[in-house]
Amino acid sequence: MSMFDGFKFRRVSSPIHRLDPRVKFLYVCVMFGVAVLFIQLIPLLVLFLIQLPLIIVARVQREWVRSMKGSVLFAVMIFVMNAVSLYFYGGFESIVPVIERSLAVTIRFLVLIESFSIFFLTTSPDHLGLALEQSGVPYDICFAFTTAVRFVPVLAEEAQTIIDAQRARGLELEKGNFVSRVRKYIPILIPLIVSAIRRSLELAEAMESRAWGATAKRTNLYVLKMSRGDYYLLAASVLMLAFSLYVWFYVPIPSLSDLIPS
Amino acid sequence: MEIIKTENLTYTYPIGKSPAFSEVSITINKGEFVLLTGPSGCGKTTLCRCFNGLIPHFYSGKLEGEITVAGMNVTEHPIYEFAQHVGLVFQNPENQLFALSVEKDVAFGLENLGLPREEIRERVDWALEVTGIIDLRDRAPYELSGGQQQRVAIASVLAMKPEVIVLDEPTSFLDPLSAKKIFEVISGLNRNFGITIILVEHRLDLAARYADRIIVMNDGRIILDGEPREVFNSEEARVVGVGIPRATQLYQILKRRGLDLGSVPITSDEASKMVRKVLTHLAPSKGFPTNYEVSTPVLSTERRESKPTIQVEDVYYTYPNGVEALRGVSLKVSEGEFVAIMGQNGAGKTTLVKHFNGLLKPTKGRVLIDGVETGSVSVARLARKVGFVFQNPDHQLFCETVEKEVAFALRNFGFDEETTRKRVDWALNILDLTEYRRVSPFMLSGGERKRVALASVLAWDPKILILDEPTIGQDYRQKERLMNFIMQLNAQGKTVIIVTHDIEFVAECKPRVILMAEGKILADGEPHRILTDPNLLERASLTPPEASQILMGLEDLGFDGRAIEVYEVSKLLLERLKVNSGVETP
Repeated sequence: MSMFDGFKFRRVSSPIHRLDPRVKFLYVCVMFGVAVLFIQLIPLLVLFLIQLPLIIVARVQREWVRSMKGSVLFAVMIFVMNAVSLYFYGGFESIVPVIERSLAVTIRFLVLIESFSIFFLTTSPDHLGLALEQSGVPYDICFAFTTAVRFVPVLAEEAQTIIDAQRARGLELEKGNFVSRVRKYIPILIPLIVSAIRRSLELAEAMESRAWGATAKRTNLYVLKMSRGDYYLLAASVLMLAFSLYVWFYVPIPSLSDLIPS
Repeated sequence: MEIIKTENLTYTYPIGKSPAFSEVSITINKGEFVLLTGPSGCGKTTLCRCFNGLIPHFYSGKLEGEITVAGMNVTEHPIYEFAQHVGLVFQNPENQLFALSVEKDVAFGLENLGLPREEIRERVDWALEVTGIIDLRDRAPYELSGGQQQRVAIASVLAMKPEVIVLDEPTSFLDPLSAKKIFEVISGLNRNFGITIILVEHRLDLAARYADRIIVMNDGRIILDGEPREVFNSEEARVVGVGIPRATQLYQILKRRGLDLGSVPITSDEASKMVRKVLTHLAPSKGFPTNYEVSTPVLSTERRESKPTIQVEDVYYTYPNGVEALRGVSLKVSEGEFVAIMGQNGAGKTTLVKHFNGLLKPTKGRVLIDGVETGSVSVARLARKVGFVFQNPDHQLFCETVEKEVAFALRNFGFDEETTRKRVDWALNILDLTEYRRVSPFMLSGGERKRVALASVLAWDPKILILDEPTIGQDYRQKERLMNFIMQLNAQGKTVIIVTHDIEFVAECKPRVILMAEGKILADGEPHRILTDPNLLERASLTPPEASQILMGLEDLGFDGRAIEVYEVSKLLLERLKVNSGVETP
């Protein structure tokens, strides 16, 4: 279990999955900006909560919960480090604002994880490549990107097989001091590199055989078209940004300790 | 009308000392289904690379002679122009799919050509429909089985509407049932759309029936070219070591024993029909005793009573990603036994054997090697007893010389220099690698690399030897050699376990067979019982060996089909003939 589980694309059919990746990316940027803008607990909590419906609609709550669980360790570390440094060097008189501030920073971290995981859980790498392509990035680079994504699971599996094959020949990776342990990775790295080279040669051969580079004006099977949902999200993101800026400039934000009668 | 024509074509790779093939002159006509075969390294693949211009444009090197494809001189036109005329499908399905969905992959070539979007859509749908994978259109390539991936690769070239499709050993990684499906798909393309097919194959039992013509290469030259029956029945084909179909082999054996079936069969169906004719002809009025007792060859199974060396007790295994690979497996393997674990990809075969040297520890249940539970000892300790040769030698070779490669494990196990040297010499010698001891393993051919991998494991003389898919990518001769070697090791008392879906190989070795499907053992026992049970085999995505299929076609004549290779079949037939005709056959 790790917080990266929340970044692996999951193929589900949902309105969120069908959104234009460019708009979703804009949304993530807005969330990022707004989360960095505020340091107070209340707006950050609001940011955290208003994204929950999106996760439910996208039907990725299980993966999201997993990534949240995976982030717990990091979150605790952020909280403790902030609390300790603020308590000793922050110049606060009581403990309550220290805790509040540290909590706010922790929630900010979770908001970032949350919005990024909404993006990556619901955007297929294919769509992402397409978004890059239609944003004017050269096709070669987009192709390299999607192919890399395509081969990540293949190479991971291959690395595991190589490790198994060498362990079956008596290689003990966990034994010895640091230097000898690093040296023990040579029998794993060399086959991995050799096979990657072989694989890339075969891939190149297959690409050539399928008319790679036949014309500079390549067509794409898919086109991204903005639909109604995309305009809604676009409007929501812009409004969100505007509203946040307004609040930031003109509305004094109460801290939690002010609201609790002492 | 000719579609491919070569004249005195000779090619040498940039790093090659001698030509990969020389003076090849062939003419292939539109609509033909050509089977190209020959031992590994004979130049088949290289020749295929010329058909769409990969040679000389992608691979440099020296190309001499003339080659025209679809009326274009290959040296004068770029590869992408040929892409619309000749589609190439390669051996490894994994390395020819680039996109993240099936549909997108099939569209790849068309997108490159810059066709209008509507036309791409239309052609993609058509290609998916024809190859029978329309339901997979949104799936990612890594979610598919090898057979499905290979069909995607075929659909991808088909969408370009080529006149010729060249397939380079497309079924090497597939089980027999998936292989059969692939052959049916390409045969359909040939029949329904008149697409010329050039199929490079070692699996002639399955492929031969679809071909109009067979070309055999050896040492870079074409040695035979003609009608399948003639080619298979020729002396040269036997000498070169082409995998002659079992049906043809049976014909030859019977002929040698004085029984002529009339014409040369290449499929089990044909052989059944011919045998039936001969039997009825020789004894037309007698009728057939239906309760005729066929003597089934008896195999010694006594060995199994000796003490168990591997004990698997109700083992479950779930991978970290949640895949349940084993679901309650129990078995015992005795010292000196020879076992084949069979089943479709994903049945749990490899997962099971990885438990034998501790690479995997059971999620539930336990595995004992010589009475010691694997959970309590390190892989390195278990590996001393259990040698494991992985499917792909390239996953383990990394040293600068063959000698060092073979010594690697011995050093890990802490053998002294003197013993290491002796063991290396011994292992190189028995695998016929002594001449390569100072050569880099990366310079060797595929078959030789496989032998280096085997030597590097045999060197420490493990008591139990596990071979994962040892026959994949091996030609007929290499398989024959491997079989003899394994049998010899087993005769010397080594416990040998092979994981395979190569049914003919198993039929000829006749080990104890363990059939797996969906993480469970379907059947465990004598090969004559398991390999002749079509229903059982189908659940493991296997088909009965050709030889027993011949007998299955004669079931009504009282044959129960319990023979798995051609010699057994010929013996049964000759015996029957003696009974029916009362005539002594020589």
